[in-house]
Amino acid sequence: MVSIADLNNTNWVQWCPGCGDFGILIALKGALVKLGIEPHQTVVVSGIGCAGKLPHYIRTYGFEGIHGRVLPAASAINMANDRLTVVGVGGDGDGYGIGMGHFIHAMRRNYDIAYIVHNNEIYGLTTGQTSPTTKKGVKTKSTPHGNIETEVNPIMLALASGATFVARGYSGDIPHLTSLIAEGIAHRGFALIDVLQPCVTWRKDLPYELYQKMVYKLEKEGHDPSSFEAAIKKAQETERWPIGVFYKTQKPIYTDDIPFIKEEPLVKHDISNVDISKFIEEFM
Amino acid sequence: MSMQAVNKLNFMVGGPAGTGVATMGLLFAKCLQRSGLEVYGTNDYPSLIKGGHNTYMVAASTEPITGIVGKFDILIALDKTTIERHLHELSEGAAVIYDSNKVKDAESLAQGKNLVFLGAPLTKMAAEAGGEIMFNTVALGASMGLLSLDFGIIENMLNKIWARKGKKVADANIAAAKAGYDFSKSALKSPFKIRVEFVKREKTMFINGNEAAVLGAIKAGCKFVAEYPMSPSSSILHLMAGHERDFGIIVKQTEDEIAAANMIAAAGFAGVRSMTATSGGGFSLMVEALGMMGIMEVPCVIFESQRCGPSTGLPTYTEQADLLFALHASQGEFPRVVIAPGDPVECYVEAFNAFNLAEKVQTPVIVLLDKFLSETSITVDDFRKIPLKVDRGKLMSDLEMEKASGFKRHAYSPDGISPRCLPGQKNGMYVCSSYEHDETGYTSEDPHVRVAMIDKRARKLSSIPQEMIAPTFFGAEESQAQLLLVCWGSTKMPALQALRLLEAEGVKIRMMHIKYASPFPAQDVLRALQSARDVAIFEGNSQAQMRSLIRQQTGFYIKKAYLRYDGRPFMPEEIAEQVKKFLQV
Repeated sequence: MVSIADLNNTNWVQWCPGCGDFGILIALKGALVKLGIEPHQTVVVSGIGCAGKLPHYIRTYGFEGIHGRVLPAASAINMANDRLTVVGVGGDGDGYGIGMGHFIHAMRRNYDIAYIVHNNEIYGLTTGQTSPTTKKGVKTKSTPHGNIETEVNPIMLALASGATFVARGYSGDIPHLTSLIAEGIAHRGFALIDVLQPCVTWRKDLPYELYQKMVYKLEKEGHDPSSFEAAIKKAQETERWPIGVFYKTQKPIYTDDIPFIKEEPLVKHDISNVDISKFIEEFM
Repeated sequence: MSMQAVNKLNFMVGGPAGTGVATMGLLFAKCLQRSGLEVYGTNDYPSLIKGGHNTYMVAASTEPITGIVGKFDILIALDKTTIERHLHELSEGAAVIYDSNKVKDAESLAQGKNLVFLGAPLTKMAAEAGGEIMFNTVALGASMGLLSLDFGIIENMLNKIWARKGKKVADANIAAAKAGYDFSKSALKSPFKIRVEFVKREKTMFINGNEAAVLGAIKAGCKFVAEYPMSPSSSILHLMAGHERDFGIIVKQTEDEIAAANMIAAAGFAGVRSMTATSGGGFSLMVEALGMMGIMEVPCVIFESQRCGPSTGLPTYTEQADLLFALHASQGEFPRVVIAPGDPVECYVEAFNAFNLAEKVQTPVIVLLDKFLSETSITVDDFRKIPLKVDRGKLMSDLEMEKASGFKRHAYSPDGISPRCLPGQKNGMYVCSSYEHDETGYTSEDPHVRVAMIDKRARKLSSIPQEMIAPTFFGAEESQAQLLLVCWGSTKMPALQALRLLEAEGVKIRMMHIKYASPFPAQDVLRALQSARDVAIFEGNSQAQMRSLIRQQTGFYIKKAYLRYDGRPFMPEEIAEQVKKFLQV
């Protein structure tokens, strides 16, 4: 039995008091407990940003790489040892800005990883610049006269890119987010969990109160997550903010087509004395 | 006709891209290699897929050969341009094989030169043998007929090459080659000036730098390749992908080089031997991840086949201008290994060493190749005779980790190298971080931790044995040598051939070839430089980058430098001439 205590450590958490990241951390721990995944069988992969610090606050293996490169790292760990549970975490700048190229490719390849994006519509750790999900007109340090760009819609992008599990959570609703993350991790294939996360320091115009008022649960309004068309429709909704599973389907995962890791993961292959005789003879 | 020469010749095939120039050259070379000769083969081509002008050049001899010396004895011209361009490079009595239906007035191009023109309706003969596409096989057969090479060797070769496509294809190619072979036998008025006689010897390999590097990597247990295509490294991707299922290697073509570098870092963290291959442009994109590998202490191998930069530069031409870049790429300070093998044998051995070092030192290893080395083939002894042993360094076993408590992944140690656990192992949980961190991996901005960690990582390179990184010496004894020729990387090949030329002329030259740029064998290099009567350095770049490195590492300034940076490799005669000029100064 895995308990929350097994996942706790004593590291100093560097997030601002009241940060939405706390809710995501608690939900992730809860999801791993719910699924009974051993801490040493889990790798939490991050990039750089406030969200990128998360691996230090959970007692699993962690890989805290460079900005925007969560998904190449997470997918390589999945290929090197597909018996591990790999969870990517990052912010909206990391995933939808600098890492956008990897995001699309990881989804079309359907790696068996879960990817949690802490989407607070702002660059936090660099002290408050516009992000790819910042809405048009919003004033930030880098857009003092109002953002003139149209924001990225990550749910639409995920659907268009072939993600097999597309969800949105809200860090202020921890029980709901816990079950979304658990479902995403358990999902066989690429699972995106975009999380609406209040930034209490740089987005005072987006307080918890507003999120509480705007969000509603897809499952409570009869949304059918097996319908791609319904998902596309819901993904475009802006009057209210739907949370829950937009879309879920089953497709072969990337490693299904790699026959030589069926018996043993790549990391367990014996490399002590590889026989290259046949290959050498090709040059004779 | 004077006496026939035996087993020594230069050959060239030229034509537009897309006509199988490289394949023909390679087949010609392999037939001579299988006849027991020492063979050297290299190519020259622009960056395009169809048209232009490509050549493949072969030199064969009974003596070891690492460069082309002298003029060409056989030219297969797949178009008229080839004859026009290379006429001045042909030897007295050389043969020119061409398609008589395509080049009508070939003999008028001779400009009074004594040449043997062998115009055959190559395409028509190929069609009769089974398909026009085999016109180059007909030409190849014709060149073999000239040399009276045993047709059985050609037949075996074609059977082996075409086996994958089935017996019908192989038979048609053999028929095409035979048609060409018989044609030159009957068309020659007198025997050609050179013939090839079979030399009995143990089986050799004919292999280029990229191929040898791939063999070395696979022998070392490389399990994960992430690569984005870029000339001249792409053949590494192709070879690896072609053999992924034979050896159980995941070969991932990534969306870009940034992904490739981050993937191999993470795969290294997860415990599989991983690599990427690229050229300078792709390596530029990997630079941020390179520093990450350094601070994270993850093992990774990067093959960087240099081409002419900066930026897109001359994509299919060679240069040795990324040495200082490889040594300094990425912000901050961290240990890295930079190896520049000099020929295909060293590519094999150093590729293997790279994977051992990456895990032993827990840091990135860069293997610097270049276009010339990547695509130049030489005859080598069976690699299986080279003893190599996988060494995974301080990697913890599952059992050891089950008993572990309070494990610190980045623990301080006298040699700077910490025991390494892998995700999935019990009791080892830590964050492998790009931030500066303490022994546990937790982020730390403490000034004492910072200094301790920088020093710990820097110490690691000292554990690499001096014998491994030592330069190698060739040619005259130190006491006899008139000059010490210094070179690094692929310049070894033409320089060695130059040494042979100079030796034949009685000029006593010693050569020092530097393979390890980091860690740098400063003591050995300085001792050799100080003991030499005279020193000159030969490099394929405009700024004498190795000379700078030597000065930085030893304080010794080499006054005489000969630099080539026109995209072409050094020629042996060019080096020999320059050495003689240096001796007069």
